[in-house]
Amino acid sequence: MIQGLCEELGQIEYIFSDKTGTLTRNLMEFFKCSIGGISYGCGITEIERGIAQRDGLKIHEEQRSAGAIIEKGFNFDDPRLMRGAWRNEPNPDLCKEFFRCLAICHTVLPEGDESPEKIFYQAASPDEAALVTAAKNFGFFFYRRTPTTVYVRESHTEQMGKIKDVSYEILNVLEFNSTRKRQSVVCRFPDGRLVLYCKGADTVIFERLAESVDDVRKVTREHLEHFGSSGLRTLCLAYKDLNPEAYESWNEKFIQAKSALRDREKKLDEIAELIEKDLILIGSTAIEDKLQEGVPNCIETLSRAGIKIWVLTGDKMETAINIAYACNLINNEMKQFIISSETDAIREAEERGDQVEIARVIKDEVNKELKKSLEEAQQYLQTVAGPKLALVIDGKCLMYALDPTLRITLLSLSLNCTSVVCCRVSPLQKAQVTSLVRKGAKKITLSIGDGANDVSMIQAAHVGVGISGMEGMQAVMASDFAIAQFRFLTDLLLVHGRWSYLRICKVVMYFFYKNLTFTLTQFWFTFRTGFSGQRFYDDWFQSLYNVFFTALPVIVLGLFEKDVSASLSKRYPELYREGIRNSFFKWRVVAVWASSAVYQSLVCYLFVTASAFDGKNSSGKMFGLWDVSTMVFTCLVIAVNLRILLMSNSITRWHHITVLGSILAWLVFAFVYCGIMTPRDRNENVYFVIYVLMSTFYFYFTLLLVPVVALLADFIYQGVERWFFTYDYQIVQEIHRHEPDSCNADQLEIANELSPEEARSYAISQLPRELSKHTGFAFDSPGYESFFASQLGIYAPQKAWDVARRASMRSRPKAPKKK
Amino acid sequence: MPSNTASSSSAPAGSADSSASRTKSKRPKYSKFTQQELPACKPILTPGWVILTFLVISVIFIPLGVVSLFASQDVVEIVDRYDNDCVPTPARANKVAYIQGVSDKSCNRTLVVPKKMKQPIYVYYQLENFYQNHRRYVKSRSDSQLRSVKDENQIDACKPEDDVNGRPIVPCGLIAWSLFNDTYTLSKNNQPLTVNKRGIAWKSDREHKFGKNVFPKNFQEGNITGGGRLDANKSLSEQEDLIVWMRTAALPTFRKLYGKIESDLEKGDTIHVTLLNNYNTYSFDGKKKLVLSTTSWLGGKNDFLGIAYLTVGGICFFLALVFTIMYLVKPRRLGDPTYLSWNRVPGGGR
Repeated sequence: MIQGLCEELGQIEYIFSDKTGTLTRNLMEFFKCSIGGISYGCGITEIERGIAQRDGLKIHEEQRSAGAIIEKGFNFDDPRLMRGAWRNEPNPDLCKEFFRCLAICHTVLPEGDESPEKIFYQAASPDEAALVTAAKNFGFFFYRRTPTTVYVRESHTEQMGKIKDVSYEILNVLEFNSTRKRQSVVCRFPDGRLVLYCKGADTVIFERLAESVDDVRKVTREHLEHFGSSGLRTLCLAYKDLNPEAYESWNEKFIQAKSALRDREKKLDEIAELIEKDLILIGSTAIEDKLQEGVPNCIETLSRAGIKIWVLTGDKMETAINIAYACNLINNEMKQFIISSETDAIREAEERGDQVEIARVIKDEVNKELKKSLEEAQQYLQTVAGPKLALVIDGKCLMYALDPTLRITLLSLSLNCTSVVCCRVSPLQKAQVTSLVRKGAKKITLSIGDGANDVSMIQAAHVGVGISGMEGMQAVMASDFAIAQFRFLTDLLLVHGRWSYLRICKVVMYFFYKNLTFTLTQFWFTFRTGFSGQRFYDDWFQSLYNVFFTALPVIVLGLFEKDVSASLSKRYPELYREGIRNSFFKWRVVAVWASSAVYQSLVCYLFVTASAFDGKNSSGKMFGLWDVSTMVFTCLVIAVNLRILLMSNSITRWHHITVLGSILAWLVFAFVYCGIMTPRDRNENVYFVIYVLMSTFYFYFTLLLVPVVALLADFIYQGVERWFFTYDYQIVQEIHRHEPDSCNADQLEIANELSPEEARSYAISQLPRELSKHTGFAFDSPGYESFFASQLGIYAPQKAWDVARRASMRSRPKAPKKK
Repeated sequence: MPSNTASSSSAPAGSADSSASRTKSKRPKYSKFTQQELPACKPILTPGWVILTFLVISVIFIPLGVVSLFASQDVVEIVDRYDNDCVPTPARANKVAYIQGVSDKSCNRTLVVPKKMKQPIYVYYQLENFYQNHRRYVKSRSDSQLRSVKDENQIDACKPEDDVNGRPIVPCGLIAWSLFNDTYTLSKNNQPLTVNKRGIAWKSDREHKFGKNVFPKNFQEGNITGGGRLDANKSLSEQEDLIVWMRTAALPTFRKLYGKIESDLEKGDTIHVTLLNNYNTYSFDGKKKLVLSTTSWLGGKNDFLGIAYLTVGGICFFLALVFTIMYLVKPRRLGDPTYLSWNRVPGGGR
């Protein structure tokens, strides 16, 4: 009924959140890698830590080896690879290729001084910068790029400690795009060797591998799954030595394709396919995407507030599910419905390769899955204390599920779920899902995101929130509200959203009420004028009623009204549900206000007209039309202004000033206006009227009686409502009625924290009842890590190299175990 | 990875921003006003407050009601409807023809004083079903013309009673045209009672709205004669009947002051009224009444205020009792968390 940003902020029922940069920091840090089937890197991701904590496991503070380098984009710690130690690994050649691939195969531009400390990498995505930074720290320092060459300062390649500048001639760059999901570079080594380096998504790389390297392939896939479930972003690296003749013939085709005028992109993709095959897998990288500060807490609070959070992400299903776990969105008690395109039936169809057939099979599968899940969900909902439900769906399935025939099923299933995770979705699908809920379910939606890929989603929702983060300003520019971090959503919604909803409801209702009251007196009068439409009030009274005599108090109400303080709003997030239910702007509320207006106008009109019939002072003189109407108007202004005080939950001095000020403004205006005569021809109807009125006792008797009687009904209604049909916020007010209003920002933070006991009981309640695949991953690594860390932590390192060597020696025997 | 390719080279810009904001904070200057931390009183309508308010209202209102009711009771009022009786029986079939005719309109009425009436006693005429508040009627006047001679041509609002053959009517308009013209001559025990017709209009009207040197012109000289005529030699500010008449009434039933009797009337006195029944209210079934009334400090005889005060005071007292009983019957502890909706409904967290 009311459409606008601010009150919608207090009625949000669905939040659509991007993952990257919103829930996570978009701070890409090279965290782990797997080379030739050996996994390197011993950090613990925040996600793993979060899961472990929720499972009740303790994790020791991460202990870094002394040689560890931390810089932006690099948070890798494994002595086995650092400072040339990789030469002693089982397959140093593969390591070398790994690092070269990192250093060469990219589209990064170096800026600034050509020294490792001062260089700055300008990259299209933070992942790329992280990868090149990683190469730098491994001793393959990419420092200069010309259109045809890449210069890399390589250390330790031929022997330990030797540094050599090498220039690689870049022959072709096969660029990254979302269909190819890979990027390749063909380069010529100074010694004439021709190599194709390729990096890309695991699925595409694995499809293009030569058959021979099956073992590494299997182990690497395991590592990839592990990385993925730890919330890490993975890329596979591969290379291929090229035969010069074969390359030449391919290059001709490539140049042709490149100069094609039609379908160049498509042709280039096709040509690229020709050379990107029979690759040799090097390994994979894992980049950590850090969780934003306070995200799990925030999400928990929001869900207590009755808000459902959907995560729409372009990431892999495993990563998305894991982020959802880390954020409290999904836990092990929930019943999960997973609709994935990675089922056997679909895979089989895909292998057969007929596009029409694939589409049909996927659609059937999706339909079947949706129906089954919906039935199951409805069964769960019928049971009293059934588990909460969660839906995970991937982009490919979503494409078919959003089909008009399946849309209803999808909607009813997803509305029954507490949280929904859509992974591998395109920006367009994000928008489609948002408008599915917005239009299909008629719920108020909010989208939050930080990147250009979230713009469509932000615009599709009622309220768009942009996070001003690392990914530029597109989301912020497209959004209605911009915040710095996801966790501020609690303040935005629970405090400001709720308040503004409350305020706007009250302001709108008050405007409705005050104008209805005013107009109705005029209406009642019309019945007694032979329906001639004579105005009851002087023109100026009528015009200024809304402008001066009743304007400011309602503005102050709109500025300062708060039912409970900011800290209580966040302490009782459930109060937000009153907004979702639209408790303050239902037809019932409108009806109450309307009847209040009818009653008050009747009181003001009838009481004055009934009592003003005969002589009103001891000299027996009579009141005319304008005396009566001015009397009614005065009563009305007083009653309507005092009504503000009756409806305010928090009365500041500005309320008093404006209410008294408005009444005084009316009187002062009346004194002036009734006291002057202008030379212009106008009907001086009200000349001297107020003085005549004020010379009678009747004026004061009526002035006391009428407003009190007018407000009495509202007072009774409020008294009864408060005591017998109490709103939640009223109970909260009562609970905290003796507390001073503490709005201090520091106190707010404290108020939001759980006490140690609460935290413990909460942790216990979150303990898994059954082990699921996702938590399983978290178990082995912390154990290993803490052991490793405690071994190191005892010694105070005296010399960096000493510790580094010792650490590398100790960790050596561990490595096979971890595999 | 795919999701990030769209955004180009913004990472350095972003980091530069964040480092700049660390030194130059955009945090607004603290003020209690903008931070919404003004000290505020947070009234909670607890039963105590509700009952207390009711009691306070009843304590104030009941005495006020008694006082105003007494004031009203002190007033003695004689009302005599004469519109019907003053038409001779044979003419009653067609009263309009009678009133528009030229026959003798005088009529005698006898009033008995029920109680001692102290002077001043006010004489009113009361008209009913007369819409002095009709839109076209109310508009039909020219205040500037009434005020000064030089504006006598400002008659735009006065149609159809604006001019006679191009000469402006002063005072123009329907209100003046329909001036009430019944006259009352009172006598007590055959002694004439003087009815003082001075000072019956509000002083402000007399002194400011009606000019001292504005004299009636061309009044009641149009095709249709309305009500009373005016003495062309008396300035408008002295024509108090006109001034009273032109303060238009709010409702179709109204009283207007005719004059005042400046002597006491004893209980049982008989007052003879000789009235000239000139004014035509028969065409719209209007009633005409003659009213003699004293006044109190609160005005005329009107019990409304007193009764209203007493009723409201009584209701408040009654409500105070009812609320007390209700709270005793169905008590609710103040700020009981179990009443919170999410605590009441099991599984409300869903």
